[in-house]
Amino acid sequence: MELEPKDDLERELEQSLVQNLVRLPAPPGLKRKIMARKQARDAERKHHRVVFWQRLAASVLVCAAAGGAVTWHNVQERRKGEEARQQVMVALRIAGRALDQMNAQLAEHDNGK
Amino acid sequence: MSRDWQPDFEKLVDEHQSMVFSLAFRTTGDRGLAEEIAQDVFLALDQSIGRIESPEHALYWLRRVTMSRSADALRRQRVRGINLWVEMDENHGAQFEPRSSPLSARLEGLLTTLPSHQRAALVLRYQEGLMPDEIAATLDSPLATVKSNLQRGLKLLRAKAESQLKEYIRGT
Repeated sequence: MELEPKDDLERELEQSLVQNLVRLPAPPGLKRKIMARKQARDAERKHHRVVFWQRLAASVLVCAAAGGAVTWHNVQERRKGEEARQQVMVALRIAGRALDQMNAQLAEHDNGK
Repeated sequence: MSRDWQPDFEKLVDEHQSMVFSLAFRTTGDRGLAEEIAQDVFLALDQSIGRIESPEHALYWLRRVTMSRSADALRRQRVRGINLWVEMDENHGAQFEPRSSPLSARLEGLLTTLPSHQRAALVLRYQEGLMPDEIAATLDSPLATVKSNLQRGLKLLRAKAESQLKEYIRGT
């Protein structure tokens, strides 16, 4: 789209706009307010970061404790199983020995006949 | 593009606070709102500062975000049923800087009566001295729309000026 040619009044109006539509000075204290809000936000972000790491550390600690508890429980179970197995082995050994003795006595008894 | 350029937030605030505030004020017509927009724009700049590559990029970014935030603020005000420009028009530009000349105040006052998209294009054209293609990039509008807004805005302003400002314009 081409701009239409301008007449004198329009050119004068444009000239007036260029001369008068200058940048206004910023309100006093604008920069101070911006810097204060930035500082507050940075501090809040820092606080959030600290809270995040604290929560993460607490979560890791809880997970480690839970993992440790599960592992300890498994080890205990395995130890108890091993003990039970040892007891069964001892019982079997005793039973085997008793059977051997009984066999020996029966054999002696058969030979004495 | 200067690759070595390191953005300094405080310096950028110093350099551009007047531009950001003026754009927001002339777009919204509310001093308090303009100040709030300016603060938000600079805080947004702080968040995006890592992506700013040069002083020109910072200037372009600030203009673009200011215009977008000001348009959003105007839309929100319209939804809430507040017309800032009506209040302003009733004051005949009294909200503008006391240091401004009578013609300046009258021009500002007339500008406030234009539709927002025409006002935005005119402010970028005459306050910032941007060319239509730069305005189109800043406002994210097609070039033809920007040219049409500039032309219609000027025509409307001229029609109003013919009855109210002729003596000032001829007198300058």
